[in-house]
Amino acid sequence: MRKNYLAGIFLLLGLWLIVSLLVGSELILPSPIKVFNTLAVLLKDPRTYQAILSTITKISVVLTATLVTGVALGFAIGLNDKLYQLFRPATLVIQAVPIITWLALVMFAFGIGWLGPVVVSVLSLFPHVLLTTAVGIRSTDVKLKEMATIYRVPKRKIIRDVYLGSVLPQMVAALQVVVGNVWKVVVVAEYMCGDRGIGVMIAWARQSVAVDKVYAYTAVTVVMGLIVENVVNKYTRTLLKDWEVV
Amino acid sequence: MKLKVTNLSKNFGKLEVLRSVSFEVFEGESIALLGPSGCGKTTILRIVANLEHETMGYVERNFSKLAYVFQEPRLIPWKTVRENLWFVVENDEKIREVLNVLRLRGFEEYKPSKLSGGMRQRVNLARAFLVEPDLILMDEPFSSLDLQTKLSIIQDVNKRREEIGFSMVLVTHDIREAMLLADRIILLTDKPCVVCKEYDVTNVPKDIFEPRFTKLERLILADITNLL
Repeated sequence: MRKNYLAGIFLLLGLWLIVSLLVGSELILPSPIKVFNTLAVLLKDPRTYQAILSTITKISVVLTATLVTGVALGFAIGLNDKLYQLFRPATLVIQAVPIITWLALVMFAFGIGWLGPVVVSVLSLFPHVLLTTAVGIRSTDVKLKEMATIYRVPKRKIIRDVYLGSVLPQMVAALQVVVGNVWKVVVVAEYMCGDRGIGVMIAWARQSVAVDKVYAYTAVTVVMGLIVENVVNKYTRTLLKDWEVV
Repeated sequence: MKLKVTNLSKNFGKLEVLRSVSFEVFEGESIALLGPSGCGKTTILRIVANLEHETMGYVERNFSKLAYVFQEPRLIPWKTVRENLWFVVENDEKIREVLNVLRLRGFEEYKPSKLSGGMRQRVNLARAFLVEPDLILMDEPFSSLDLQTKLSIIQDVNKRREEIGFSMVLVTHDIREAMLLADRIILLTDKPCVVCKEYDVTNVPKDIFEPRFTKLERLILADITNLL
């Protein structure tokens, strides 16, 4: 399994090398050797770490805000039919708005800085968590709810022991989607309206036509994203197994 | 009187399911509603338990604690046997006691998926006993069990009823099951469900090899055949 995974990585690098040789222009596709050399140089520069730290901070804030508010509101509207009908259209509209529109609006509202990328990212990811949680709550097994009603189990206990367990697979799925997308969304938002972070470094590299730097920063983003995604997937798989919902 | 059902009718849209069903359950009495599958027996229990509303008629509920033994165990899949019981009553001593009564000791930390159908049904029963009800509604709880398991659980239920003295309404399509668990059997027909006949089983021994048992069993079977 691990061998195949490593072979897959080498295959990808090999293909990249071949295509870069075929393209023959470092302005379009620099070779992996060139990119990794640039990356080695960048990793010696403290500004790279500052940028990574800034992006990680934003991602942490975005994940916390998205998951806490999305899950809490998802529970609230999932448990109440009227609230669900009331909030669903607005949530769907927010979900359908293109990220570029949010970027434009946020730039007008907050200008270039730290807050813009965070707000844009939350607005892009929050509806998914909210709706997934709400739908999960609404699809809780009616038979278990009836059983709890018959035995006069207090509401808070039903929420904790029945709803939470039922919604767990959906919440995990939402978490995986959010974790998988948060890096992309935050970096794009930084690129457009951030004052620091990996996205900003990519924007500067583009302005100075340093394509190898663009690829090097992208590689950093991809690797960090994959590491976080793998950790989350591993943890959530164990969690689901413990709860016997897989 | 624990429960009195008077002229109960229920329609689902244009479908008439129950028509003027009446019966009562006295203190400590066990009755069985015997009828074909899909005749509306479960609907009666659901109305009694307030999970459905009657179209017409009246239900007088004089019980304070109700338990419902569902056809399928309805256990929380991600919780262990002990946690499933803790969900309804937070009392370790009582939980230990019902686990003993239903021969579930040693399975406390098992999750439902690791238990056999019979064991799951025992947990379903344990949950019902745990709340110390004065009325238990049983919705064909043994229909998916083999004969041996069924007889063993029926014994446990009867023993517990002797000890605690709760009233019981059992719905079933199995004559033997009804005779083994009930003091009175109410025969129902379908389309729509109406009460046909009542049988007093109080003086019939709860032994399937007893001549009086088999005689009444044949009589009920003959009545059912005549209804076809």
